[in-house]
Amino acid sequence: MSATLRGLHQSALEVIQRPASEDSVTDSFGQFIQGVQPHHLTPTLLHRSKRMVLDSIGVGLLGSTTHVFQLALQHCQHMYAPDDVSSVYGRRGTRLSPTLAAFVNGVATHSMDFDDTWHPATHPSGAVLPALLAVSDMLPNNRKPSGRDFLLAFNVGIEVQGRLMRFSNEAQNIPKRFHPPTVVGTLGSAAACARLLSLERSQCSHALAIAASLSGAPMANAATQSKPLHIGNAARLGLEAALLSSIGLEASPRVLDDTSGVAGFSAFYEDYAPQPLTSPEEAGLRFLLEDQDMGFKRFPAHLGMHWVADAAASVHKLLLGELGSQGMGRGSQVVGQVQDILLRVPHSKYINRPFPESEHQARHSFQFNACSALLDGEVTVLSFSQEALQRPDLLALLGRVRVEHPHDNPANFDNMYGEVQVTLVGGDVLKGRCDTFYGHWRNPLTNESLKKKFCSNAGAVLPREKVEGLIEAVEGLDSLEDCSPLLAQLQ
Amino acid sequence: MDVTSLGFYSENSYYGYKGSMLSPLIKFLCLFQSVTESFGAAISSLNAVHLTDTVIHRSKRMMLDTLGVGLLGTSTAVFSKALQYSQFFKSVERSSVWGRSGMTLPPQYAAFVNGIAVHSMDFDDTWHPATHPSGAVLPAILALAETLPTQTSGLDLLLAFNAGIEVQGQLMRFSKEAHNIPRRFHPPAVVGVMGSAAASAKLLALSPAQCVHSLAIAASSAGAPMANAATQTKPLHTGNAARRGLEAAKLALLGLEGSQAILDLESGFGVFYSDYSPSELPGTNGGCGGGFRWVLEEQDVAIKRFPAHLGMHWVVDAALEARAKLGASGEPDLCKVQKVVLRVPPSRYIDCPFPAMEHQARHSFQFNACSALLDNQVSVNSFSGPQIDRPALRELLAKVRVENPQDNHPSFDKMYCEVTVEMEHGESVTARCDTFYGHWRKPLSQEDLVGKFEANASTVLSQEAVESVVDIIGNIEKCPDCTVLRSYLQMSRPTTHLFREHLG
Repeated sequence: MSATLRGLHQSALEVIQRPASEDSVTDSFGQFIQGVQPHHLTPTLLHRSKRMVLDSIGVGLLGSTTHVFQLALQHCQHMYAPDDVSSVYGRRGTRLSPTLAAFVNGVATHSMDFDDTWHPATHPSGAVLPALLAVSDMLPNNRKPSGRDFLLAFNVGIEVQGRLMRFSNEAQNIPKRFHPPTVVGTLGSAAACARLLSLERSQCSHALAIAASLSGAPMANAATQSKPLHIGNAARLGLEAALLSSIGLEASPRVLDDTSGVAGFSAFYEDYAPQPLTSPEEAGLRFLLEDQDMGFKRFPAHLGMHWVADAAASVHKLLLGELGSQGMGRGSQVVGQVQDILLRVPHSKYINRPFPESEHQARHSFQFNACSALLDGEVTVLSFSQEALQRPDLLALLGRVRVEHPHDNPANFDNMYGEVQVTLVGGDVLKGRCDTFYGHWRNPLTNESLKKKFCSNAGAVLPREKVEGLIEAVEGLDSLEDCSPLLAQLQ
Repeated sequence: MDVTSLGFYSENSYYGYKGSMLSPLIKFLCLFQSVTESFGAAISSLNAVHLTDTVIHRSKRMMLDTLGVGLLGTSTAVFSKALQYSQFFKSVERSSVWGRSGMTLPPQYAAFVNGIAVHSMDFDDTWHPATHPSGAVLPAILALAETLPTQTSGLDLLLAFNAGIEVQGQLMRFSKEAHNIPRRFHPPAVVGVMGSAAASAKLLALSPAQCVHSLAIAASSAGAPMANAATQTKPLHTGNAARRGLEAAKLALLGLEGSQAILDLESGFGVFYSDYSPSELPGTNGGCGGGFRWVLEEQDVAIKRFPAHLGMHWVVDAALEARAKLGASGEPDLCKVQKVVLRVPPSRYIDCPFPAMEHQARHSFQFNACSALLDNQVSVNSFSGPQIDRPALRELLAKVRVENPQDNHPSFDKMYCEVTVEMEHGESVTARCDTFYGHWRKPLSQEDLVGKFEANASTVLSQEAVESVVDIIGNIEKCPDCTVLRSYLQMSRPTTHLFREHLG
């Protein structure tokens, strides 16, 4: 027998022949998804995940006003008929099949780059929440999940993403190849949906494996209008994977394991070292969200922008002090006074754009965000409108920006800083530095700030009663016997 | 402001330069998009005059073969599950499910399930570098054609089909990695979705820019890990390629945009390969009297004679020849075999000494050699449970040894298989196959190709339907409305109903 020639196929053969390996990483994930219990949700987890749910709904509702959302919705409505099942954010009376609703709501969530960001970097909630809402709509009226079950499924989806990102060093760096939400997000959605659908342990594993064949989109598209579809598809396809698994489709039982010669989930990373999850039956199960909180954005732009915006805002205050006036003509006064602007930021091609030409580019430009904050004292949703992009004051300032990449400023959301140094015409130099922007996990938004962001976002498309109704439903989610009050107010 | 007109201010270049530094840099940086643009331009401008006789001939054979294996594949469990799932969706536009009388699905899901059917038994065409090109394309364009407001002629269909095949062939030539045994991503999931997007874009008559975006959007749906290629999920790789390529084209039609340099960038399509070096497609103008040089013109596909990995075909042909030599003086007594030696290229994926399941049997040099020796043939029926488990076969399997000679490269272009059978009484025969019958160097005769189709299709369709499909595809370039295929593809045998119920 050719022992030397075994390996790939032989290992696949061995896996199939022996009963589902109790010690495989893949199996441990299946066990976790199926076996985790409501009592595992600590007060910290409940608090943090409810904030994520609220923020995610809010940015999704605001995102339903974007062009790309409209396009995605139109596509679904053309290619498919109305299906009175799952609600579409912010569109009264519009419902779609569950996977399609997950898709468009996911697109909405990521459409403005306003959704939550974690460390290692991904946007976890947008891949999970739309899918869970869609599934909840799908379940019969007398079998809706309780708020606690819903939250548990949500946390499963987040936890799976976090764990997967810790399987490689590559995931901790700036992504170069695959856009993280499309790698871990799809499996997160599959895990969450498998949980909410009460799949069996092996079905939970197969849902992850099926999802792996639906994962991975190149970074190049993350700089385009297609990016929000990455989250939309993660939500949709994860749900699809769970549904396919529920009717018996099977895939690789070792998809998360590192089997030599056969790339499973490891296909997406250059270095891959998976670890099994602690069994829910053992003590010591600890969710990552307990130790690593979420970052929430204050304005719709790449997370890195928040550092320079805060730094530039502090320089703006100093500048106003110098200029000794407020109100009319402020912009041109600023422009008149500023000779040179130096930004000290981490090196990252993706967010270094001296003259952004589109909304998307502006959301990914250190220079643009710094100058906007310098002019206005803050960056908001309105800072990225077409008019704002083209205002002469801003363009004038952009022309005076230089960028430096200090060695001590790594491109890493945990360690980076942003420094803005403005040299005035008279020779004075004003400096601002931000190590931790307000909204970062080390300096979290207060509940009040988070609610304010939500009201502003949701209020763009929903009437006041529903905005307040949603806040109430999410705040009390873990006590709701039935999550219908949440579902009923999304449009 | 039109971003695209300012070449290097494209969203994909990360450098910005002020005013006067533009000109020398624009030219250089514009090159960043030229491979992608050349694909968009080619897909959009290809028309009937570019189709050569060879390409028409070969692609019609591919279409017929694909329909046949797809129809047979509708009897599989994975098809059944995918169908069950797909019926969940409602739509106004509907496209046919092959082999299921009167059954329709939303177009993408018809593409999905039919694509799954095509690849469900590993019976579909194989190309070099390796992928299964047709299953990602034909289901998509047939589904799409059923929804178009204007008639789609057979020639339109052929053109779209070939656009889809061509794009796949070109993409696989952009890396050395694509020439090797795939380790990370299953090729149909990488290039197949791009082919489907190209073919769909062609059928929809999209502009060059929209063709570019179809490819870009499709790239975000490409890639599935090899680990699943050893499981029941594998056919979904082809089904999803068909479905999501179609979807990409429809989204591009609505105006969605992706990266305009998707094929140029390492962070674009290059993410799927560790060595990626794209080049522009030649224009369709051809210059000095040359037309469009199709990859299919230079490199034909292989058509399988039985549903197993392509490598099995070499070992089977060698085993059959060895058996014939043994039986030169009467039926060989295979119980008296002492040893069987297989000299094959190294490939862990298809080396399986004791397969326990259908999929493993289709990917086992040992199993296929022994089946050929025992039965004097390998066919669709060779891979059933009872056939896999029969004692005579298990006994023979135990006598097999595999060797990997140095000069035997794991490449469909270069490999060979040698089978040596040593009998107890000392007689020993060896046979070697360099090119199996069905390989592109030794293509199936038209009669045998049609015979394969008929055998497959008649498990599901009525005789009249089988003959009609052969006829329509045979003359597809003259057919004014290709959707006539639809009714025949659903014209099932009267007894098929009972058959299917039995399968559960």
